[in-house]
Amino acid sequence: MNGWRAVRAVALRDLRAETRGGELIPAMTQFVVLALIIANFAFDLDRVSAPRISPGVLWMVIVFTALIAFGRAFAADRENGSLDAMLLSPAGAAAIFLGKALAAVVFMLVIEAFLLPGMAVFLGSPINLEVVAAVVLATLGMAALGSLFAALAARTRAREILLPVLVLPLWIPLIVVGSRAVEEAMGGGALQGQPLPLLLDFDILFVVVATLAARFVLDD
Amino acid sequence: MRAVLGHDLTQTYGAGPVLGPLDLELEEGEHLALLGPNGSGKTTLLRILATLARPATGALQILGHDALAQRQLVRPRIGYLGHQSGVQPQLSALENLEFYAALYHLEPERARAALAEVGLEAVSGRRARELSRGMEQRLALARALLHDPELVFLDEPDASLDVTARELLGRLLAGRAAVIATHDRALAASLCGRELELGAGGATRPRLGTPG
Repeated sequence: MNGWRAVRAVALRDLRAETRGGELIPAMTQFVVLALIIANFAFDLDRVSAPRISPGVLWMVIVFTALIAFGRAFAADRENGSLDAMLLSPAGAAAIFLGKALAAVVFMLVIEAFLLPGMAVFLGSPINLEVVAAVVLATLGMAALGSLFAALAARTRAREILLPVLVLPLWIPLIVVGSRAVEEAMGGGALQGQPLPLLLDFDILFVVVATLAARFVLDD
Repeated sequence: MRAVLGHDLTQTYGAGPVLGPLDLELEEGEHLALLGPNGSGKTTLLRILATLARPATGALQILGHDALAQRQLVRPRIGYLGHQSGVQPQLSALENLEFYAALYHLEPERARAALAEVGLEAVSGRRARELSRGMEQRLALARALLHDPELVFLDEPDASLDVTARELLGRLLAGRAAVIATHDRALAASLCGRELELGAGGATRPRLGTPG
């Protein structure tokens, strides 16, 4: 119970700091809007091509927005000494990691709440409940891995370069399954091969593994 | 029981040694000043003592526990103030301490009391980034002492503090063991019963003595 209190405290702290004039959400929102405008001009979309092209645009935007979100997740706390102070508390590395990852999930979901309607408006993408479910499930797994490797990258000076190199290959299973689910859902057909349960399995695996590994990554 | 008992502690970064080998003893309630030029390993030693870094070699006992194998038993009983304040600039002074109070399973009222102890109750609602450097250092001290630790490690705690705050520092450390890294020999003499002088590059044997 105390562990969850710490998770909640860390997540609320990050969310509160962001709502007090943080830089993450504005930067991510700006990126999403620009990406949609560019995609709108770059692709000749109609009712037939939109369900085929939209999933690619969606996942490209999600991946690069996530890199922005996770890039700063641990760097600021390491620079201002907060991470040391948190590690010395009884909270434990796993609770700190989960709190930071939870805040990152909320940031991503906020952006996706703009992105999905934005895709419907700019690209005419057919957004339905299955598309939303696939995006949310993929976001959970991406947040677990993204936060873990953001913590690792924050220990280095080349963190902006290191994070994508480390995390993108590991996001591939989530993106492959998520893309298939979104493509099928946008096409209006029934989902083949149960991609949503598979994404949930990935989420459980990645959250458990990342939480167990957090102690070795956060602490010396 | 000794507060700190270190034997043959060394640290290396890359190919070169940056600290030690050194032996260290600190009794309960005793204050030790860490002196030495830049690069002599003061911060490195403090981070090792605070269990935030592992020494390359050596054994370390903190408050009766093996500090290398039982860090989780040691950590809640120590306080650490590094070069950075450890506070979130977007949150208010009070919110920062309430956050750490939650991590230490303390009541939120403890945060307000800690702010009063360092004389910051008047600015409790002000964001940390809006505090002066000296006020931020007071807030960082309150953060490090929030859970009433038995042993504290302070890295240049006098940075940006005025004379009043330096007197406050002495009061806050009363009854606790402390290792204090500083360049200020007068502060070391006023706060500490012993000093440990590290040599440049951390390679020379440290000199133990009495400040003054």
